[in-house]
Amino acid sequence: MNAMTPTIAAGATVTELAPTTRIVLRLADPGGVGIALGVPLSERIGSRATNGARSALCLGPDEWLIEAPETEAATLGAMIADLAARTAISAVEVSDREITWRIEGPAVLELLAAGCPRNLAGMPVGEGARTIFDSVQIVLTREAEDRFHLTVWRSFAPHVRAILDLALRELASGL
Amino acid sequence: MLLIHCPYCDETLPELEFAYAGEAHIARPADPSKLSDEEWRDFLFIRTNPKGVHFERWRHINGCGRFFNAVRETVGDKFLSTYEAGEPRPDVATLTGEAK
Amino acid sequence: MTSYRLPNRGRVDHARPVKFTVDGKSYQGLAGDTLASALLANGVHLMGRSFKYHRPRGVVSAGSDEPNALFGTRRGPGRFEPNTRATLQELRAGLEATSQNRWPSLAFDMGAINDNLGSLFSAGFYYKTFMWPRAFWDRVYEPVIRNAAGLGVSPTEHDADTYASRFAHTDVLIVGSGPAGLAAALAAGRAGASVMLVDENAEPGGTLLSEPSVVIDGKPAWDWLAQALAELAGLPNVTVMTRTTAIGYYHQNLVGLCQRLTDHLDTPPEGAPRERMWKVRAKEVVLAQGALEKPLVFDGNDRPGVILAGAAQTYLHRYGVKVGDRPAIVTAHDSAWYAAFDLAEAGAKPAVIVDVRASVDPALTDRARALGIETLTGRTVTGTSGRLRVKSLRVNRMENGKAGAPRDVACDAVLMCGGWTPCLHLFSHTQGKLAWNEAAQCYLPGTKTEAVQIAGAGRGLWGIAAALEDGAKAGALAAKDAGSEAEAPAFTVSADRIGSGVTLRELPTDRDPGKAKAFIDFQNDVTAKDIRLAVREGMRSIEHVKRYTTNGMATDQGKMSNVNGLMIAADALGKAPPQVGLTTFRPPYSPTTFGAFAGYHKDATFEVTRKTPIDPWAEANGAVFEPVALWRRAWYFPKPGEDMHAAVSRECRGARASVGIFDASTLGKIEVVGPDAVTFMERMYTNPWAKLGVGRCRYGLLLGEDGFIRDDGVIGRLAEDRFHVTTTTGGAARVLNMMEDYLQTEWPDLQVWLTSTTEQWATIALQGPNARLLLAPFVPDVDLSAEAFPHMAVIETTVAGFPARLFRVSFTGELGFEINVPARHGRALWETLFEAGKAYDITPYGTEAMHVMRAEKGYIIVGQDTDGTLTPDDANLNWAIGKAKPDFVGKRSLTRPDMVAKGRKQLVGLLTDDPKVVLEEGAQIVADPSQPRPMTMLGHVTSSYWSDALGRSIAMAVVVDGRDRDGETLHVPMPDGSIPAKVVKGTVFLDPENSRLSA
Repeated sequence: MNAMTPTIAAGATVTELAPTTRIVLRLADPGGVGIALGVPLSERIGSRATNGARSALCLGPDEWLIEAPETEAATLGAMIADLAARTAISAVEVSDREITWRIEGPAVLELLAAGCPRNLAGMPVGEGARTIFDSVQIVLTREAEDRFHLTVWRSFAPHVRAILDLALRELASGL
Repeated sequence: MLLIHCPYCDETLPELEFAYAGEAHIARPADPSKLSDEEWRDFLFIRTNPKGVHFERWRHINGCGRFFNAVRETVGDKFLSTYEAGEPRPDVATLTGEAK
Repeated sequence: MTSYRLPNRGRVDHARPVKFTVDGKSYQGLAGDTLASALLANGVHLMGRSFKYHRPRGVVSAGSDEPNALFGTRRGPGRFEPNTRATLQELRAGLEATSQNRWPSLAFDMGAINDNLGSLFSAGFYYKTFMWPRAFWDRVYEPVIRNAAGLGVSPTEHDADTYASRFAHTDVLIVGSGPAGLAAALAAGRAGASVMLVDENAEPGGTLLSEPSVVIDGKPAWDWLAQALAELAGLPNVTVMTRTTAIGYYHQNLVGLCQRLTDHLDTPPEGAPRERMWKVRAKEVVLAQGALEKPLVFDGNDRPGVILAGAAQTYLHRYGVKVGDRPAIVTAHDSAWYAAFDLAEAGAKPAVIVDVRASVDPALTDRARALGIETLTGRTVTGTSGRLRVKSLRVNRMENGKAGAPRDVACDAVLMCGGWTPCLHLFSHTQGKLAWNEAAQCYLPGTKTEAVQIAGAGRGLWGIAAALEDGAKAGALAAKDAGSEAEAPAFTVSADRIGSGVTLRELPTDRDPGKAKAFIDFQNDVTAKDIRLAVREGMRSIEHVKRYTTNGMATDQGKMSNVNGLMIAADALGKAPPQVGLTTFRPPYSPTTFGAFAGYHKDATFEVTRKTPIDPWAEANGAVFEPVALWRRAWYFPKPGEDMHAAVSRECRGARASVGIFDASTLGKIEVVGPDAVTFMERMYTNPWAKLGVGRCRYGLLLGEDGFIRDDGVIGRLAEDRFHVTTTTGGAARVLNMMEDYLQTEWPDLQVWLTSTTEQWATIALQGPNARLLLAPFVPDVDLSAEAFPHMAVIETTVAGFPARLFRVSFTGELGFEINVPARHGRALWETLFEAGKAYDITPYGTEAMHVMRAEKGYIIVGQDTDGTLTPDDANLNWAIGKAKPDFVGKRSLTRPDMVAKGRKQLVGLLTDDPKVVLEEGAQIVADPSQPRPMTMLGHVTSSYWSDALGRSIAMAVVVDGRDRDGETLHVPMPDGSIPAKVVKGTVFLDPENSRLSA
C-alpha cells in the first residue's frame, strides 16, 4: 500500500501527513524561553502550546517537541541558535526520525485501543503524550474529539501501520 | 500488569509504559578509587531483595522518560508510593498505615 | 435414530435445521444448538474416550466445565481445533467434528484394554513407571504411551484465522450474566456508570435460561430476561458481550477476556478475527459466575448417559432436548428433584429419584409422587451397567451406615447431583483468601485483595430471588465505589426453587472399594481410590495429592473435581477439609487458544521488524536478509547462480579491489549536547575526550560499572558542546537508557541532554580504494584528500545536494566514508552513488561481507566476540582506556582481584592447520582432544569466516590465558572429528600497518 493513501474503513481513516520541522528541545528552566522561540513552553507534561502553525508539546520535565511548518524551518533554526548562544539548551532536529499519521473517525478510540493501553478517552483535546502502541513507542496528540495524530519512529512505522490495518479490517467486519 | 503512578507526569498509567530499574537509593560513590575491593563489590552486586517492602527504581521509559523511585510491597505486588529521584525514602510505617 | 427433541421447547429455532457431521456421519440439529445438545437430540450420549483408560464417555455438563465431550472441530484448511468442548461449540452449517483419543472408532476402541489393566495405571503411575529403564524413554514411553494416553491431536497446518486484541477501561466489569450479573448491570447501568457485562455462553441469562418457570416482577423468567436485556441495550453506557470468557483476573482489576467471534457463524464476514483478547481495566469488578454442580462419586459414574442433573435441566429448557426417556436421578441436593419434575412434565418417565439424604423436604416427595416417580431416600448407589450407554443403576439401602442389599433400576440416563460449589476461580486468581463454610460445606470467597464484589451463587447464595437481590446490591456498591450515585433495584420473585444439600465423599458401597471405578476427575481419569492411595503412599499436602494423582490438572482445571478430591483427601488424612485446603486456581479459567494470546502477532506482524530507508532498494535488488536485533538487514546480495559463500567472497573482493556500498543506517546514534557534554563523555566512556578536536572522531568503548564491555562505536565531535555518538545496532536503546540513568540519577547537575537520532539519519558506507574518487564529485565544499580530511574526521556539509554529516571512518580496513543524510533522502543518495559507482564497478555488500572484512582486520563485534564477561584487557582494548582519567564508568572494577587474575579468557586469533577448514562459531576449544569426557574446555570460537583476501579461514576465539598461548596448537572437537588450530596473539590478519586505511 502506498503510505500516503488513506485507509478507509468503518469509522476510522489513517492518513500519513507531510513532513514538518521537528526539534527536540531540552533545557532545565523554560521560563522566558518561549518568547525566544515564538511559541510558549508549557510546563505540564502532556500539555501543548501553540502559536500559529508552531507548537510545543511538553513530553517530559525538561523536554519539548517543537513542531513548525518546513517553511518556518530557517526562522526557527535562527531563533534556536540565538537562544543557544545565551542559554544552556540542547536542540536536536528530528524531522526525519519519525512520521505522523492522522487517525480520525468515530471509531478512532477503538482503533487505537487495539495497541495502546492508555485510557485515551480521558485525553483532553489539544494535549498529547508519549506512550506505547503494541510495544512500539509513539507520541499521540488529540487534535479533536475524533482525531488523533500518531507519531512513530520511521523504522517502526511499517509494523504499527500493519497492526492498524488489521484492526481497521476488524472494525470493517462489524464484529 | 500493574498501574504505576509517575511522580513527574502525576498520572497513574499502565505498566507497559514503564521499565524496572533495580533497587533504589544505591548512590554511585563519588570517588570509587577510595573504596576497598569489598566495598566496591557490595556496591556492584549486593542487594537487599526483601520479602515485603522494597525500595526500587522505575523508568517511565515510554512516557516522560524519567527515572523515579517507588516503594513496592513484593508479596502482594502492590505499590505503596512513588516519588521523584533524589527525594529521601518515605516512612514505611506511614505508607502501610501502621503509624499512629 | 430416535429423536429426543421436544417440539415447542427450548430456545433453539425449530424452523431452522442445521446439518453437521461427526466422524463423517451426518446429523441434523437446530439453530441455537450446541454440538452437545444436537447430538443428545439425536440420542447420542457417547462423545469421547477417557484420557488414560479409554473408557467410553458421554457428555456430563452443559458448559465450560465439560471434561468428556471433547472433539476436534474443523472449518476447512488451517482451521482445526482439538479439544473443542461440545457444550460450548455452537452448531453451524457444515460443522465437521471428529472424536478423539480412540482407535479405530469411538464405539470400538482398542485402547480400552487399558481399562482392564487399571491396576497398572494407579496414582503416581508416571512417577513409578517411567523411572526405568532409561532407554525406554525414547523408544516406548514417549511414542507409545504418550500416544495412547492423550486428548486431541495438535493442528499441523498453518492457522488460517486472524486474532485480535483490545484494551478497554470501564467503571464496572461484571462477569456472568445470570440473575446476579443482570441485576448488577441494571443497578450500575441505571446509575450511569460505564458497565461491561460479559458471559461465556452464547446467550445472556445464565440460570434463567434453565429455569423458565420462575416469575420475576410478575413476568415469566424469559419475558423478564428479554425486558432486562432490552433495557441494558438501551443504555449507551452498558456493553453486553456474550461468548466472552473471563480467563484471568490480574493485579489492580485487570481482567483478560477471550471473546469468540466467528466459531458460531456459518460464514464469517471478511476480515473478521476468530477471537479477540480483551484486556479490561475496571475500577470495580463484580464476579457473578454462579456455582458449579459437582458429580456424585460412585462406581460407574462415568458411563455414557450419566449426566449432571443441572445439565439435563439446561438441555431440556434451553435446547428442548430430553437426555433420556427413563432417567434415574441420584442426588445429594434438592436441585436435582426439580430437574426430574421438569423432565417428567416434558414427557419423560423418571425411573426413580434416589436421595442419599435420610430425609428431604416432604414437598419434594409429594410432588414426585404426584408425578408418579418412585422416590428412595437414605440410599447409596454402587454401580451402573451398560457398555456404551447406561442401562441400569444399582441402588442399595443404607443399614447402620453401611451399604446393604442392592437393587438394579433400569434406566436410559442417570442424572446426578453432588451439590454445588461456588465458582471461585477468578477470585482465587487475585490471591483472595477462601473461607471454609461449615454449614454449606464449601469454600466461599473470603478476604479480598482487589476492588471486587462477589454476588449470588458465587458466594453461596441459592435461588433466583437471592441472586437478584445480591447482584443488585453488588452492582450498586460497585457503581458507587466507581463514582456514580446508585441504588439497588428490588425484585419480586415467585415460584423460586430454593433448596439445599449436603457435601459428600465417595458414596458407600457393598463391593470391594479397591475395585470401584468411582471417578472424581473425569478428564484425567482420577478415581476416589487414587486419592486414597496417594495419601497412603505419603502425600500429605493437597498440592502433592493433586500432582501425584493429576486430580484437577486437566484442561477443565478441576472445575468438577476439586472439591470432591478435597473431601476424599481430607477423609483419608483424617482432617477437616479447611485443614487440608484447596489447590491453587491459576489462569486461564478455561482453555484458551494460542491465537487469542498472540493477537495480531502472527505472520508478518509476528514481531516488530524495523526497516531502513534503503531496505526497499535491497529488497528490489535481491538481497537476502538477516535479523539483527529488531531490524532486518541485507545479509548478502546473491547474483544468479551464486550461493552465500560465492556472493560474500565476491562482495569482499569488490570492496577491497575498488569500492563497496553498505547500508549502515541501523547503527545507533545519540546526540549528546550541552555545555557539559565533554564532561559527560569523559565519565561514560573509557576514552579521553577533552582533547578531541571539533571535526574529529574517536573509537569509544563503553563499560558497565562491573568493568565488562557493553558497547562501542565511533564518536564524532561536531562542536565544543555537541557529540555524534554511534552505538552498535542492537545496543542503541540499551546504551541510551544507561546514559540517561547516569545522567538523571548520578549526575543531575550536568547540563547535557541526550537525543536519539538513530532514525533521523540514513547512513551509507562507501569502502574501498576508489571510495574517495567516487564520492568527491558529490561533495563540492570539502577537500576529501588524505591530508585535508584524514581518517577519523567528520564534517557537516552537503552530499549530492543533501545536508549531510560526513565521516571518514572504516570498519573494513579500507579507505572509507560514512555519509549520514536525513532519512527521507537515504534511498535517493544510495541510488545516486550506486549509479555513479558503476564506473568503478561498485559492489553493494551486506552484513556478512562486513563481518568478514572487519574480522580480517581484527575489529571486534560487541555481543559476538564479547559476551558480557570480557574486560577491555581480555579483548585487547587497553589502548582505548584513558589512563590519566580519574574515573569513568567501570574503571574501579578493572582492578578488582578477579579482573586481573590469571586464567581469564582472552580474545585471540585462531588459524586452523588446514586453511580450508572454517571453524563453527560457538564451537568449544580444548587442549587435548583425547582426554576423557567431560573435557576441560578452554574457550570457544566467537567469529569464523572464509577470508577471500587471505585465501584461508580465519577465526577469533576467547581462550583461557589466550595471549600466553601464542603459537600453541589447540583443538576444536566436532561430531566428525577434532580440528587442530593454532593460537595467534594478534587478531589483525590483514594489512597490520593500516596502509589501506589511511590512503
